Amino acid sequence: MKAIKSILLAVVVTLGFTSCTYNKLVEQEEVVAQKWADVETQYQRRADLIPNLVSTVKGYAAHESETLEAVVAARSKATQMTIDPATATPEQIAAFQAAQGELSQALGRLLAITENYPDLKANEQFSELQAQLEGTENRIAESRRIYNEAVQTYNVSVRKFPNNIWAMIFGFEKKAMFSAESGAEKAPEVQF
Amino acid sequence: MRLFFNIVGRERLRTGSVHSPSFLCSWILVAFLLFPSLPASLLPVIPSLSVSTCSAAVYTPDNLPIPYLNNKENYVSNPDGILSAEAVDSLNLWLGQMEQKHGVQTVLAVVERIEGGDAYEFCMALGRKYGIGSKEQNTGLIILLSTGDRVYYILTGRGLEGTLPDAICKRIENRQMLPALREGDWDEAMLNTVRAITRYVDGDPSIVGSSDFDDGSDTIALYVFLLCMAVGIGLIALAAWLEERKKRYCPSCHQYKMKRISSRTTTNKSLGIRTHHDTYRCSHCFFTKERHWDENINSGMGAAAAGGALGGSIFRGGGSSFRGGSFGGSFGGGSFGGGGAGGRF
Repeated sequence: MKAIKSILLAVVVTLGFTSCTYNKLVEQEEVVAQKWADVETQYQRRADLIPNLVSTVKGYAAHESETLEAVVAARSKATQMTIDPATATPEQIAAFQAAQGELSQALGRLLAITENYPDLKANEQFSELQAQLEGTENRIAESRRIYNEAVQTYNVSVRKFPNNIWAMIFGFEKKAMFSAESGAEKAPEVQF
Repeated sequence: MRLFFNIVGRERLRTGSVHSPSFLCSWILVAFLLFPSLPASLLPVIPSLSVSTCSAAVYTPDNLPIPYLNNKENYVSNPDGILSAEAVDSLNLWLGQMEQKHGVQTVLAVVERIEGGDAYEFCMALGRKYGIGSKEQNTGLIILLSTGDRVYYILTGRGLEGTLPDAICKRIENRQMLPALREGDWDEAMLNTVRAITRYVDGDPSIVGSSDFDDGSDTIALYVFLLCMAVGIGLIALAAWLEERKKRYCPSCHQYKMKRISSRTTTNKSLGIRTHHDTYRCSHCFFTKERHWDENINSGMGAAAAGGALGGSIFRGGGSSFRGGSFGGSFGGGSFGGGGAGGRF
């Protein structure tokens, strides 16, 4: 009788710990998913700003069509790529980052050529659009930082003992982060 | 000498650091005053140090003084004294109204130099460090101007991005801030900016001042005050009850069962005394006793008048101390997502 009682107790205690670990992992995974959604929102926000920017620039610098088309093409490529954070592999994240980075580069080139058009620079609408774009780039950087933080917290939980045993049983896997400094993210320096 | 120490003290207040060059320079001067025999070769050190005072400290988010923490009516951090006292007063007033009405908690910093010269990074680090703005509304606002680096930024908290979108921040900067900045009129630039921001924030009814931006210390102070009041009232009531109980004490059977059954008064006008004759009877042993007590008729009015004067002066004193005293503020833990706009001039 005593033996049965102690076994039951052991089972209850173990289950208690397990559900604790399991719940914690679920919570952290949800946080990661939410932070990923924030990142996507900010990228989407940038994509939404681009048509307006392109049409404004076109009004002043129509013959820069090559640069403008590059922006439009990079935008459509970047918006086509969506990722499910629950199953995203590091390669998928890297591909996503590369597509968005290409758009960043194209935008950088576009903003660089606007330096040649004083009328455009003096246009208040353009100035405000540029501010929105800069603000969005800042938001992207910030949301990516927060996403990486959430992933790191989650990854540490998954890999720690004894959580790693339960994570293996329940199928929680390490998640991929944005690489901190990608060359594609930096706007190119243009010399005239 | 005293004047000199005054200057030293003020210097310390202004820079907030004991190790600033001007402070060091002052102490070298003190050393010369106290020990005239010091080698004169040290003297050239003083002008060189004085020159270096002109270039103010380079501020980081960690060493930027935040006066708000000591006094929640001071939103402006002006450690280099770039803004005039009048401008700082007006800015504090407007920003205070904005916090009361809309719960927008602002830090406005005007400094000579910031580390790295990146206004956005500086503002973000400042916001992250202090959590400016309430946690629920996230309505923090940071306005930074670095006159030496020639950069400025308006950083909006997450909850303020709808009220002050990036484009509006940019517009305020282009129209209100930049013209004054180009002329080097820092006061005008900041006054115009805050005036415009206030207008936008006033025009948005969706953000409202809430009680939660009020820091906890005030609430605690209120509770302590109420507790003290309750205890005080309780003590007075207890004293009154004991006094009343004493009257009911029967010297014959030692029980508290005496009751007043009749009362009459006699008045001596020449002395100005009214005497009360109260007859008490014990309901237990029917022991009867008469008690006398005198009332001074003439001083009655006088006492009342004195009481009024005393009450009035206490009230006045209380009023002034309320105005003069202000508590240090605390930030609510608001977060910044990178909204806002900035630029160079």
